[in-house]
Amino acid sequence: MKNYFLKRFIYSLLTIILIATVTFFMMHSIPGGPFTREKPVPPEILKALNEKYHLDDPLIIQYFDYMKGLFTFDMGPSFSKIGTSVNDLIKAGFPITAFVGFLAVLLIIILGVPVGIISALRQNRPIDYFVMFMATLGVTIPSFVLATLYIYFIAGKLDLVPPFGLSTPVSYIGPVLALSGYSLSFVARLTRSSMLEVLRQDYIRTARANGLKELSVIGKHAMKNALIPVVTYLGPTIAALMTGSFVVERIFAIPGIGRYFVESVSNRDYTVIMGVTVLYAAFYVMMILLVDILYAVIDPRIKFEKESN
Amino acid sequence: MNAEKFEFVSSGERSDQEILRKSLTYWQDAWRRLKNHKLAMVGLAGVILILFFAVFGPMLSRFSYSDQNLDFSNTPPRLKIYQLADDYYVFLTRDYKLLRVSGKGEILYRIPIEHKDPVKKIYTFKDEKQNMLIALDFSYNILPGKKADYDYTFSVNGGPEIAAHHKKVFNRTYPFGSDVVGRSLFVRVMYGARISLTVAFVASLVNLLVGVFYGSIAAYEGGKTDIVMMRFVDILNSIPLLIYVILIMVLVGNRGLWTMIIALGSVYWVQMARLVRGQVLSLKEQEFILAARALGVSKHHIISRHLIPNAIGPIIISMTMMIPSAVFTESFISFIGLGVSAPMASWGTLANDALSGLLSYPYQLFFPSMAIAFTMLSFNFLGDGLRDALDPRLRKG
Repeated sequence: MKNYFLKRFIYSLLTIILIATVTFFMMHSIPGGPFTREKPVPPEILKALNEKYHLDDPLIIQYFDYMKGLFTFDMGPSFSKIGTSVNDLIKAGFPITAFVGFLAVLLIIILGVPVGIISALRQNRPIDYFVMFMATLGVTIPSFVLATLYIYFIAGKLDLVPPFGLSTPVSYIGPVLALSGYSLSFVARLTRSSMLEVLRQDYIRTARANGLKELSVIGKHAMKNALIPVVTYLGPTIAALMTGSFVVERIFAIPGIGRYFVESVSNRDYTVIMGVTVLYAAFYVMMILLVDILYAVIDPRIKFEKESN
Repeated sequence: MNAEKFEFVSSGERSDQEILRKSLTYWQDAWRRLKNHKLAMVGLAGVILILFFAVFGPMLSRFSYSDQNLDFSNTPPRLKIYQLADDYYVFLTRDYKLLRVSGKGEILYRIPIEHKDPVKKIYTFKDEKQNMLIALDFSYNILPGKKADYDYTFSVNGGPEIAAHHKKVFNRTYPFGSDVVGRSLFVRVMYGARISLTVAFVASLVNLLVGVFYGSIAAYEGGKTDIVMMRFVDILNSIPLLIYVILIMVLVGNRGLWTMIIALGSVYWVQMARLVRGQVLSLKEQEFILAARALGVSKHHIISRHLIPNAIGPIIISMTMMIPSAVFTESFISFIGLGVSAPMASWGTLANDALSGLLSYPYQLFFPSMAIAFTMLSFNFLGDGLRDALDPRLRKG
């Protein structure tokens, strides 16, 4: 098993390097550069700028320079924000984004999973219908609509919370709700359907026939199997939520890193594009690795040696 | 053994053996099951309705999606009209433009402004056709000492002040209201449906073709080919797709319909490839494939005639689920400002346009959002129903 994880870890690293490579060359093939302006920059200045940022080197040299930096966790200077490095930008923005994302993940786990289980246990009762109705609504309404409706009604009409920023604890409610809305509904639905499937299996009947308490049947025996698909879904979702949603951050004016996703591409801010992509990819790949490890904890039937073939 | 020991089967017994009911094909059976699924039929009706509006809606309306009239900008779907004279109704927009409307709610023309007194908060409008001078006093609740439960009053030719509105009517000219440059939101939502659905359908179709092709080849070839092909899919799956969609959109350049389709189509086929691979892997070990191979059927033929048709159920289900998620993604990309460029519109760009005036004109966000939610719901219901109908093994409890 140790071998398997080592192998997986190296494979994950390779994936990240590959992603960085693909992004690097793709982004350099976009016409225009970081210093392309509507009013053209004088050629001497452009030359000096290119020289300063080593943009006049052959692409392959730039690539190796960048990768060298990446291995020492130095992502280079930002082109559009003069005097700041990408590390600074990430250091300033990522904690905010990650915290909002973390709250969203927490909400999904402590609300979505129990609600799904309750709904499954009370199948075809009013509470089940209510939960499923809300969950269906949740997956059909885009987060930007949810966010704007929240601002319009809760912050605008009722004036209960400040509409923008994260100045007070209550102002986290809106972003967290908007960010988690879709996944929360999805997790509730997923938990319900997988719980229903597990509850129909023989071993649950056996457990009940043996006189186990209902709490232990559900909490100990059914839960473990029912949560496998949920864990699979949660891995990538956590990565996506923690790295933030551009839309939600824009609507609520949160100073996170989400905005760099789009800003950097339109500014051709090469190092920032790379930084955000690598950060996201690393997060994502590691989350998937973590999910695989979690599998082993939840479900000992999964054989790693076999899977690695 | 002699012949007497045998007797003829009576006609009654013979008819017992007959198959009275026509045997149903896979599709007939699926359709029968789908018809019994109420939510799925609701979803199907919704999908047909959306398609109908998207295809015929813009043709039947008298405005086109780009017709604009600055005089009639930002009119809401419900008009609060004031009666100033017999058969003379007006509507005041939030930016103090006075529009003459008919009693039924058709917007007729803008009454030009004659004089502005921003200190006393009195504007004078002059309708030359009717020879009327209309004074609008909106000093109430703005200037100190003047409190009232209305915000403004009208008076015609120096006559008495009219404060109470006559009635609320539906906007007949612009059923969903008009946007910031006076384009009909109703027409634009229907036109947006065309763009959003075209992107979704074509992108899903591209995903379908690429995914089925890729997945079936990987699974059928197996071995090293499979490993290499699926590793590539794994890598593609672990990159932030949004960034790639944005990169591709910038790379291709012009912000057209096709850019969006290329961006979505080139990235989101991964799931389909995985699904098809899983299906083909389990199918290819079955006897009928062995038989086909033993008969010398070509590889191409086995994949296209034997393997894919047997996996068509899950493929169709996944396709129905792909369309709403493509609508979703498209609206997201449009919402962040990378969608089709004006005056074209998709639901996402409409929602984005509405954002700046949200607090004053919330209806401009409401209608495109409703359209997105309605589409998502319809396709989700239909997809759930199709899953039950086409693949009874996956039936939910």
